[in-house]
Amino acid sequence: MGESGGKRWNFGANEVVEQSCSQNVRYFLNLLADNLDGNDGRAVIPLGHGDPSPFPSFRTDPAAVEAVCHALRSAQFNHYSTTSGLPLARKFMFLFNAAYALLVPKGNTLNRLIGLAVAEYLSRDLSYQICPNDVHLTAGCHHAIDVLISTLAVPGANILLPRPTYPMYDSRATFSKLEIRRYDLLPDNGWEVDLDAVEALADDKTVALLLINPCNPCGNVFSRQHLQKIAETASKLGVLVIADEVYMKMAFGEKPFVSMAEFAEIVPVMLLGAISKRWSVPGWRFGWMVTLDPHSFMKDSGLVHSLANVLNMSTDPTTFIQGAIPDILGKTKEDFFSSKLETLRECAETCYEEMKKIPCITCPYKPEGSMFTMVKIEFGHLEDIKDDLEFCCKLAKEESLIILPGRAVGLRNWLRITFAVELELLVDGLSRLNNFAQRHSKKHP
Amino acid sequence: RAKKTYKRDKKMSEEQAHANLVVPAFRTEKELKTQTQNGHGTVWRFGGTDKAAKASTVTLRGVIYMLFDNCSKDVKKTVLPLGHGDPSVYPCFRTCIEAEDAVVDVLRSGKCNSYGPGAGILPARRAVADYLNKDLPNKLTPDDIFLTAGCNQGIEILFESLARPNANILLPRPGFPHYDARALYSGLEIRKFDLLPNKEWEIDLEGIEAIADENTVALVVINPNNPCGNVYSHDHLQKVAETARKLGIMVITDEVYDQTIFGDNPFVPMGKFASIVPVLTLGGISKGWVVPGWKIGWMALNDPEGVFESTKVLQSIKQNLDITPDPSTIIQAALPKILEKADKKFFAKKNEILKHNVDLVCDRLKDIPSVVCPKKPESCTYLLTKLELSLLENIKDDIDFCVKLAREENLVFLPGEALGLKNWMRITIGVEAHMLEDALERLKGFCTRHAKKTDTETEPLQALKLSDNNVGI
Repeated sequence: MGESGGKRWNFGANEVVEQSCSQNVRYFLNLLADNLDGNDGRAVIPLGHGDPSPFPSFRTDPAAVEAVCHALRSAQFNHYSTTSGLPLARKFMFLFNAAYALLVPKGNTLNRLIGLAVAEYLSRDLSYQICPNDVHLTAGCHHAIDVLISTLAVPGANILLPRPTYPMYDSRATFSKLEIRRYDLLPDNGWEVDLDAVEALADDKTVALLLINPCNPCGNVFSRQHLQKIAETASKLGVLVIADEVYMKMAFGEKPFVSMAEFAEIVPVMLLGAISKRWSVPGWRFGWMVTLDPHSFMKDSGLVHSLANVLNMSTDPTTFIQGAIPDILGKTKEDFFSSKLETLRECAETCYEEMKKIPCITCPYKPEGSMFTMVKIEFGHLEDIKDDLEFCCKLAKEESLIILPGRAVGLRNWLRITFAVELELLVDGLSRLNNFAQRHSKKHP
Repeated sequence: RAKKTYKRDKKMSEEQAHANLVVPAFRTEKELKTQTQNGHGTVWRFGGTDKAAKASTVTLRGVIYMLFDNCSKDVKKTVLPLGHGDPSVYPCFRTCIEAEDAVVDVLRSGKCNSYGPGAGILPARRAVADYLNKDLPNKLTPDDIFLTAGCNQGIEILFESLARPNANILLPRPGFPHYDARALYSGLEIRKFDLLPNKEWEIDLEGIEAIADENTVALVVINPNNPCGNVYSHDHLQKVAETARKLGIMVITDEVYDQTIFGDNPFVPMGKFASIVPVLTLGGISKGWVVPGWKIGWMALNDPEGVFESTKVLQSIKQNLDITPDPSTIIQAALPKILEKADKKFFAKKNEILKHNVDLVCDRLKDIPSVVCPKKPESCTYLLTKLELSLLENIKDDIDFCVKLAREENLVFLPGEALGLKNWMRITIGVEAHMLEDALERLKGFCTRHAKKTDTETEPLQALKLSDNNVGI
């Protein structure tokens, strides 16, 4: 309720929203942007976000662009689409005559085609073939998170989220009133999951466990053995695994990427992904949610049906982007991926080496995947800085350098550094960080 | 080495197709199991949500699927899907080349592949403000505009921003079911006011005053009106604004059909009355440019007194936008060109086709006494008809009519029940004209066959003759 100019109005804010978004990455980036010094002549170096698409080294595949242009020009993809993975019943097929292009089946036909393309793409290095009917298309991975968390949130339920985390899950869980319980990723153990904590936290109202692999924000890749243990633990607890693999195959270190999909026999898996990271096109908003459920537990529980219902009521990926997906997923050359990976590896390597020179931060684990690394702030080395937020605000102000304070991802007094930027920019940024550290270091008597 | 395939049985598809049967209207889902066991004795703790089930039963998709289900291959006629609306699949409604060019240019520039801010990129918001300001006395700034992934998502975000315990919202009947679905899902109580068929679908203002109370947050006006097709007059909209002000509620106006008008009444944006009451306008290019698949829309806050800000609704909306999916950045970047190059000729051509279709249908309906169109639509892509069931034998209501029509003629119209108007029927006219010709032929045959028998012998025989000759392929 609100008063305005003496008049009383019956509408007002939804307080739950405020709670939900106050910890989001955007919130902190905006805060840091406010601290920038307009008089600093240097360009701002952004090592706080996760979007390398503006940088030439990370530019998307021109063939992907052409695929979308082609789909757009065909005028075949301007219509509404249905994306909930509902297969078109066989008996409808005969009814549709090419002379009358029909909306519902057209949407469904498109959906089956795209579902097939995504299923094939995801199955490439998998020991089995994912069924196209299990693929649900979403407007980016964010949309999948939105729909999934909202659907899982039954009264009294709780969800196991990692610390550090990707805060969109937290925002959506808070918004849907799904209780959050946090398990740690262990920095001294290569950021592996604290499985004992997981077992201790779960109870009969726990619905799911989230795992992001390759990991944002830690930059590690989980091993096959560890993934299996996670699957077994989740199964024992009766919870499904949300496998956020938006950074799928972006593993440039020693450890190969293994998908949680491999363990769907052990535990039901909700696989989330998108083209955003591998193709550097987060602005295109195309992703998926795949229900890997060979024993039909998710289906029998009614979850899949609910998901389909919620998807039906919510937005969809742009239809002409959908139309280009078979070409994008099917025809992008290996060269494109390997050169991007090489660029990432170089950036990660450089970042890790440069950071070793900076006294007040320590990086417990060399990044081997995704675009980020977590580093701890050693306050003992610093004079007048008491926490991560102060560190980052001052850094923005004094050095026009944006780094995300660890509290944004649930680890106070750490920092999340993005290394997926143009290499020169990264080197420049880290040298500014070094200058900052020197300037604020404790003076020895 | 052959890969294992996990087979999915087809059962789910059939289950889905029947899941939201409308007979009787909007029954709720069966009880969902929340726990199931696997062979090892694990109890699975996840399940579906009731609110998803409830909300989904009020969508149109379920009704349409049910009607398609009643079509059959034994009736040797192609299915005519005139219950749902998406003209974009028909070549005659293809969008303009300028819009396509705008998007292609953006794609090829490689500059807009990034995430954008939650509210939408500034050039797009500025372009929308300029576009809307053409007809508004109180000028909007880019900060008053928020981009959404389609107009439907605008509804979703807005309702999530307004939802509070015990809040209720006033929706029109007949209406657009997505409003109901999203209100249910957000936990907003729905209260309906009538659009009066005897008064050219004007809003029942007395009805509104009767149902509003201190927990009412808003009333929704759809203008130009889907499904009725009327365009509200300046005076009527002013009265709506004054009523809302008296009740202390905002007006949410859905103007997505602002470029789909083919009658004589001019379109008046509700924003004109923003000095009387805060107005939140929902809009987009989906209908005007016939590109619903592009998924871009907007919310415009017409609020010179800053009420949305002082009541913190503005804050809720912005925060919500930060945690919800965005429209694709490409289309956002193309929006300025699209709106700037808005071509009156393109809209006129599209609207001409729609007008012709309306005239065609109304003309044919003259020969079908049991289906009456009391007021020709002057906008949008639908035509509402009233069923004179007293002239028909053994058809008990609009759903029965539509099911039998689907079954016997492979013709799908929307039963008015789905929109809150029992015993009416909605015909989609945003299709190619020859489909409507075919449809009306079949409708005539159906009505003749089902006409109540009179004392005269000859009439039924003639009716039979007509239906024998009625072959559509």
